[in-house]
Amino acid sequence: MSIAKLTWINVSKDLRLEWRSRDVFNSMMFFALVVVVVFSFSFEKEDSRPVMGGLIWIAFLFSTTMALNQSWARELRNGVLDAYRVSPAPAEALFLGKCLGNFILVMLLEGLMAPLFVVFYNLGTVGPFWQLLLVAVLGTWALVVNGTFFAAMSIRTRNRELMLPLLLLPISLPAVISMVTGTTQVLSGEGSPAVQLKFLAGFCVIFTTACFLLFDTVLNAE
Amino acid sequence: MKTKLFFAFAAFCCIFLAYGTYQGLVVAPTEETMGDVQRIFYVHVPAATVAFTLFFVNFLASLFYLWKRSAKADALAATTAEVGVVFCSVVLITGPIWARYAWGTWWSPWDMRLNTTLMLWLLYVSYLMMRRSSTGGSTSVLAAALAVFSFLDVPIVYMANRWFRTHHPAPMIGTPNLDPRMQHILFINMLAFLCFATLICWFRYEMERTAQNIDAAHIQQAAGGAAGMMLLPAMFLMAPGHVAPISYLWGGYLAAWGIYVGYLLFLMNKLARLKKEAAELGA
Repeated sequence: MSIAKLTWINVSKDLRLEWRSRDVFNSMMFFALVVVVVFSFSFEKEDSRPVMGGLIWIAFLFSTTMALNQSWARELRNGVLDAYRVSPAPAEALFLGKCLGNFILVMLLEGLMAPLFVVFYNLGTVGPFWQLLLVAVLGTWALVVNGTFFAAMSIRTRNRELMLPLLLLPISLPAVISMVTGTTQVLSGEGSPAVQLKFLAGFCVIFTTACFLLFDTVLNAE
Repeated sequence: MKTKLFFAFAAFCCIFLAYGTYQGLVVAPTEETMGDVQRIFYVHVPAATVAFTLFFVNFLASLFYLWKRSAKADALAATTAEVGVVFCSVVLITGPIWARYAWGTWWSPWDMRLNTTLMLWLLYVSYLMMRRSSTGGSTSVLAAALAVFSFLDVPIVYMANRWFRTHHPAPMIGTPNLDPRMQHILFINMLAFLCFATLICWFRYEMERTAQNIDAAHIQQAAGGAAGMMLLPAMFLMAPGHVAPISYLWGGYLAAWGIYVGYLLFLMNKLARLKKEAAELGA
């Protein structure tokens, strides 16, 4: 079977599982909702714009972590991960499938949460909207690709889920900084996020390559 | 033979560091605007150089481990990450002490250079935590993979000073703005601290190897070296007699050496534990 077909099998399996149980998506959604509501009490409506970039990404970053942990924890039950390791299918297809599945899930969450941000913070973009969309897509991919990789790494350790934020947050800090800066720039219309977009694109390319090159090693680490 | 060489190198480091510190505190010309506080520079910049160098060695050792699976490369990677974190801590503590005087604030939260250095520190702390929490044979492989990722962030940190707006002084080495005498003394200090780092790494590496195949004989040889190193900071506190006792300057030097000594104490403690373990095993 070709890699594309194997990837598609992995993605559709993950999405079907999620569609039937909706365990992860519901908790992600609820968590993001709680963050939005709690912060809307803490900030004055008028001065919230400069901190919005940070707030939006805090909500998504932590809900993403939830999804990432679950996506591999699911494979541990019944030794599915061990079955993957002995199967002749390339590990890259499994990794890409997981990444795409998580990416779709997180993008869906962001799409559903966007109206809530508009409602709770009376938010609109001053800069062009397509730039915000681009920041969201590139930023989410940066988070998801690193996150999927480090979740696979952290389930191999003794602390399992506890390890993921400790590994993921420092590694993706440069991306998080430019996501936050870029989002704030579009929302407030102060400055163009062109530099941040270029930086994010570069970050995505470098780290996606590194993840693909090293995933096999991590999966088979003994 | 190895022990003799180690002690000879330790003695050389003592003298070299003492000379470098004396040059930095006494001989170096006083900077026009910042005065004596600028002398923190002779601890801050060398520590940064050492930290970057060690992280680079860590990256190379990790790559080599992924390629050849050699236990020595793994020990070297563990050593350089740990010592690198110590030197990076010195950078992060002496920096704010200087900044408090020069900028009037300890930390500037939107400064890319500061954030990225802190990020580097976080990355390698998480690397050390990873090593600590993973189980059995997978530790080395996972740690090596993580090290490769951590190092991918280093060029970003390095270029941050040039790409983004920052308060941090731009690198001045090789530009006409830096007094040639200052540059000379800075290079002496860089070399001295690189030797110092090599010495600590040597010691720590032997320990790591020992931990890998608990070998009591080796540990005893290294123990004397650490005791000798404890004398270093004591020497520096007495050395410069006629430098105006500016609290920031002293704060910077004390903090830096406090960390170095603290780390050496930690190593001693670890050594005692290893020895006990080895004795119990009857090795």
